[in-house]
Amino acid sequence: MRGFDYFKPRSLNEVWELKEKTPDARFISGGTDLMVQIKNQELCLEALVSLRSIPELSGVEVGEVTRIGALTTISDIIQHPSLRHKYPVLVEAAKSLGSVQIRNVATIGGNLCNCSPCADMAIPLLVLEAKVRLKSTKTSREIPLNEFFLGLGKSCLAPDEILTDILLESTKLNAKAIFLKKGRVKMDLAVVSVALLLETEGERCCKVRLAVGSVASVPLRLLKVEALLEGAVISKELMAQVQQLAADSISPITDVRATKEYRRQIVSVLVRRAFEKVLG
Amino acid sequence: MKTEISFFLNGSEVAVSVEGHSRLIDILRGPLGQTGTKEGCGEGECGACTVIVDGRAINSCLYPALEAEGKNITTIEGLQDLKNKLSAIQQAFVDCGAIQCGFCTPGMIISAKALLDSNPNPSDEEIRDALLGNLCRCTGYVQIVEAVKQAAIKLKDTS
Repeated sequence: MRGFDYFKPRSLNEVWELKEKTPDARFISGGTDLMVQIKNQELCLEALVSLRSIPELSGVEVGEVTRIGALTTISDIIQHPSLRHKYPVLVEAAKSLGSVQIRNVATIGGNLCNCSPCADMAIPLLVLEAKVRLKSTKTSREIPLNEFFLGLGKSCLAPDEILTDILLESTKLNAKAIFLKKGRVKMDLAVVSVALLLETEGERCCKVRLAVGSVASVPLRLLKVEALLEGAVISKELMAQVQQLAADSISPITDVRATKEYRRQIVSVLVRRAFEKVLG
Repeated sequence: MKTEISFFLNGSEVAVSVEGHSRLIDILRGPLGQTGTKEGCGEGECGACTVIVDGRAINSCLYPALEAEGKNITTIEGLQDLKNKLSAIQQAFVDCGAIQCGFCTPGMIISAKALLDSNPNPSDEEIRDALLGNLCRCTGYVQIVEAVKQAAIKLKDTS
């Protein structure tokens, strides 16, 4: 392996100083994806700047708006005393991510910044309408997660920008959410994943948020399906329409894990199951 | 560029000089001579390289060596007591026939230790979930799960 430097800054200011000196340096958080890419020589690196020792990026504060520091590990999310009550859909997805060894190191921010269409954290965060805070030396902005992903491995982060926090509003008491994932074995990457958040009044859907993973170049909100269901009463006929529209709204590919035809079919099935489970 | 780091390995402080691109497994098996930890896939899939860092099981093949600074690390070598007697988990693996070629065993045992340290009374499902990141290509998993269950009982009896 070609050598590279590894820096461990203690503050964000130090990070930006390093980034200015070595512009080609890559950020590393948990590194569970990055280290594999390095090993397979898919990346040519000059330096890595580790974000693990920066206090501003850690911690979870649950409140009216919940803040999850980007460096929070997947295990920390699972073990957090109040996240599982407040955002069970996020914790369910966290439990499905990789193995114990991976969850103990992988971070929620890294899972998002890796910009994989199958990112297990992205799918529930999309239906929870999470925002991400992005900071650079001079700027700080908050954007909806939906606008963060630009394509496979591509986000809207500027070269010196860092995703520092994930921000979540409280969900309504009548909101129910679910995460479903289809993989070959349990610790596998998702062949297809689906998250659904539903608020109902009587039989009427007043708010629907639906997101799917591994079926497009980015983790995807199905906005057209959401719009179709807003204010509607779910019938058998409408569900068939929803399933068709969901399958038509995605652009899956065939790869080592599944064919695009299979993915289209599974999306349709998982969407129906998600509604069935949420509506009990 | 080499950097000197120190950390606690199986209870003793060690100092080692590491490169920026070194992984934890490289320094464990290399300069520190602790070859009980194995490298299988090198991609975080097989778990042969599992060690415990500050109480949590991790893949040492995905762990930058420089992040070990100041940490408490336990490898398979740290499980035996001073009289070289096998620990309860190791003995349970022997007794249950949970070892065939043995390559996955150090990682399996370390994952089992991390589980039992935090959850002394795991269900079958919790054992299987804790070992999901450890692959065995010889014995299958029945004897391994049995060994962890037996170790849990022994540890409870002795504590």
